[in-house]
Amino acid sequence: TLGQFVMKTRRILKGHGNKVLCMDGCKDKRRIVSSSQDGKVIVWDSFTTNKAHAVTMSCTWVMACAYAPSGCAIAFGGLDNKCSVDTNLQAWISTRLARAPSNLACSFTNSDMQILTASGGGTCVLWDVESGQLLQSFRGHGADVLCLDLAPSEMGNMFVSGGCDKKAMVWDMRSGQCIQSFETHYSDINVRYYPSGDAFASGSDDAMCHLYDLCADREVAIYSKESIIFAASSVDFSLSGCLLFAGYNDYTINVWNVLTGFRVSILFGHENRVSTLRVSPDGTAFCSGSWDHTLQIW
Amino acid sequence: MKELVSNSTANISQARKAVEQLKMEAYMDRMKVSKAAADLLAYCDAHIAEDPLIIPVPASENPFREKKLFCTIL
Repeated sequence: TLGQFVMKTRRILKGHGNKVLCMDGCKDKRRIVSSSQDGKVIVWDSFTTNKAHAVTMSCTWVMACAYAPSGCAIAFGGLDNKCSVDTNLQAWISTRLARAPSNLACSFTNSDMQILTASGGGTCVLWDVESGQLLQSFRGHGADVLCLDLAPSEMGNMFVSGGCDKKAMVWDMRSGQCIQSFETHYSDINVRYYPSGDAFASGSDDAMCHLYDLCADREVAIYSKESIIFAASSVDFSLSGCLLFAGYNDYTINVWNVLTGFRVSILFGHENRVSTLRVSPDGTAFCSGSWDHTLQIW
Repeated sequence: MKELVSNSTANISQARKAVEQLKMEAYMDRMKVSKAAADLLAYCDAHIAEDPLIIPVPASENPFREKKLFCTIL
């Protein structure tokens, strides 16, 4: 059973000049990369709140950013139709990757050498970082793909994508085939895998979050309240999978008990929409990014 | 007339693809929800002790604890 929750802001990362659109954590459990509408991609040390590195993009809508598994590279992209990989954080060298129409989400696979992007065209693409070549494309969404998440490595090469067509689709990375698809939301969705890889959660513009079990091939839980009427923009699980953190457009973060479906806590702190949320790799904290220009560590 | 024909051919091929996809999904092995839910519960129970956000780690090990100031400015 879960006891009383005291979760509060531990650190505030200030420095972006505009809405924070995306963030990702490094496997070293300390560094965080964030991207913002100010056109900047910043790498932070979350313990000290110092900025370790910053890149300025020519395009202001940097909607996607990701940390490479090695911790030595970051990827970012947006409405500039490219996904750029910065492989040497010391020397600010950047390799333009490939044409990816309005890059809305990106993630490295288990290696620094491959990257998955989700685009405005409704397709997801797997790229080879060194050559910039397209390795596999995943077609099936009827509208923009907003979000993707890779299955935990024990599950093999799969990922889930969520789109503006209200569908969540699970893909086999090697064959490009869609294995399962789910459509129970009323609006755009974002997705995140459950730690075991047997399930995933989705947050939606319809103000609800769902849990889908992949073995049962169906939705198994809904996290919603009549009082919550704003979009859930980003979701993530705590390390054990017992808690689901969801950031909303009403500036709050709701903490849900995954198994009972009840809300455990509501967190206030941001002064504008929460746009992105990630639990750190070791589960000791989670970070939320917001349109109020800040990132907060809880 | 030709545009109408080509539109319907495109729709037919799209529909065929959808049918193929659905056939493939229909043959998938599904677990009963009672078993799947039990698995999720078991996973949570097994890992809840390691979850630092549920069972808080001592302040000395928590890198995000409040920084204590040991000096005062006189």
